[in-house]
Amino acid sequence: MNTVALEITSAGWITTFQDLGRRDTERRGVPTGGAADQHSATVANLLVGNPREATLIENLGGELALVPDADVLLAVTGAPALVTVAGCPADSWSPLVVPAGHEVRVRSDLARGARTYLAVHGKLNTPTLLGSAAPDPRMGFGQTVARGSRVLLDTEFRGFGRRPFQPALFRLPVPVPRFDDGPWVVDVVPGHGIHTIPGIREVIEEATYTVTPRSDHVGLRLEGPVRHPDSDTEIVSHGVPIGALQIPHADELIVLGRYRSLTAGYPIVGVAARVSLPLLGQAAPGRRLRFRWTDRESALRRFAHREAEVRALGHATAEAFGALGFRVPLPDTN
Amino acid sequence: MTTAPYGAVTVEPFGDSAVMVTIPHTDQAVRRAGIVAFRDRFLANRPHGVLDVVSGLESLLIEFDPLQTALPHVEYAARLVARWAPSPSDGPAGSAGSRAVRAFAIPVVFDDEDGPDLASVAEETGLTSAEVVEAIAGSTFTIALLGAAMAPMMDGLKLPRPVRRRAEPRTDVAPGAIMIAGTNAIIQPFPGPTGWRVVGRTPHTIVDISRPDPVSFGTGDTVRFVPVSRAEAAALDAGFLLPTEESV
Repeated sequence: MNTVALEITSAGWITTFQDLGRRDTERRGVPTGGAADQHSATVANLLVGNPREATLIENLGGELALVPDADVLLAVTGAPALVTVAGCPADSWSPLVVPAGHEVRVRSDLARGARTYLAVHGKLNTPTLLGSAAPDPRMGFGQTVARGSRVLLDTEFRGFGRRPFQPALFRLPVPVPRFDDGPWVVDVVPGHGIHTIPGIREVIEEATYTVTPRSDHVGLRLEGPVRHPDSDTEIVSHGVPIGALQIPHADELIVLGRYRSLTAGYPIVGVAARVSLPLLGQAAPGRRLRFRWTDRESALRRFAHREAEVRALGHATAEAFGALGFRVPLPDTN
Repeated sequence: MTTAPYGAVTVEPFGDSAVMVTIPHTDQAVRRAGIVAFRDRFLANRPHGVLDVVSGLESLLIEFDPLQTALPHVEYAARLVARWAPSPSDGPAGSAGSRAVRAFAIPVVFDDEDGPDLASVAEETGLTSAEVVEAIAGSTFTIALLGAAMAPMMDGLKLPRPVRRRAEPRTDVAPGAIMIAGTNAIIQPFPGPTGWRVVGRTPHTIVDISRPDPVSFGTGDTVRFVPVSRAEAAALDAGFLLPTEESV
């Protein structure tokens, strides 16, 4: 096992350590948190032969850049971004060998999507809170990756014995999501609140909503038409899932994110399908969204299909890396 | 804990990977006590594929992995638990699922500086500030759930009438603030906004994220607030909050 230092030569607007979030903590008031786009985070880890829940770096806006002091195997996923290694364009959604002393740069384009993910084969050394490296700003656990800092990595990667500009080493079945220009379509399963607000189903179905700058990982605040219940009966505060479409007293629609307040007392007209949550995690201010009502079975069929693709990728990378002579995924050292 | 008188629960789908459980009963007190009892039983008999739960005042959100289990299984398991499962606290001491109840005596400075809402709470309840403090100190609270950032949310405030929330929420309340609303009390673990009425402050650290287990309390534990002067609080050298006694 080698310890490699990654020197952070540039950080984006918000650059943090991240993973898939906390388990079993919502019963104790701590939201699961974790990568806003769980699909991209999972795929980034699989592409470098890590367990899917390994710690990686999430970046929003600006440019993330780092220089390793030994050869590393890394992958960049998430929103479309300009990736370069030593100044030469490189592929995202693919394993990349970054030679010692060379800089990898990831330049975001918020107009295409909010977040990029950078995973490196091995285990990043970072503190955890309740079993996870994911930040929780509410509890004072920032996990910021700052420019000028050195991030340490324990890795077994010792290079493939190839020069960086030879043809790509891998052709893997990578499930790359589409990041269209037009409005993104989000599948929603109707919820109880739809019956308490006359006409809301049609309003949401026909409208296009715009993500406002007041959005963050707590929730996306959307501008667009809404309606309110006729009666102002108080709703007893209850637990709310990730993806809940909530209509507060003001004229806006909120889609709750992974760092939501766990309980709320506003009408919930629906819950975004699990398969649509990664897309919501990529919706930056200005992004236009449309909602499509769906039933639970169709939503889960799409989710199962996505999961099958991710598993296929996991098998393919395990075989490819196995053939090159190193074990994947790393034995769990937690 | 006594067993709440209920036998049936309502289980409704909530999106594609959660259900909401409520207790259909006309009496609010039964619904609230019932859901706490249900939560304890459900967690002690957690079915495969259930990821986590979120407590509401009268409901329980159950989150599951839809590729490991399915909605009808979770619903069936919830109904079975409601009808048949013994409460974890009914069993003999040390049996599976039983947990020691901890008692906390928490020193609190109650004055106008640390408790800026004390005077208005007194006015609202028709008491003097000193009588409000006396009533809070005379109440024995039970931790009903852990709120945002693991804040202990407690029942059992004994004032002549429930306390209203602030019309205009405060934006930056100090950690350790003792806050009340309705018949509940809560302690603010980190600086932040709140609509609760701030009546005092403890010098203890409630949540310490550098510890493997950041809190020493859990649901079902009991809390009393012990009034201390500002000088006494400073002399305490209070660190991480620990229980004063533990009983099984």
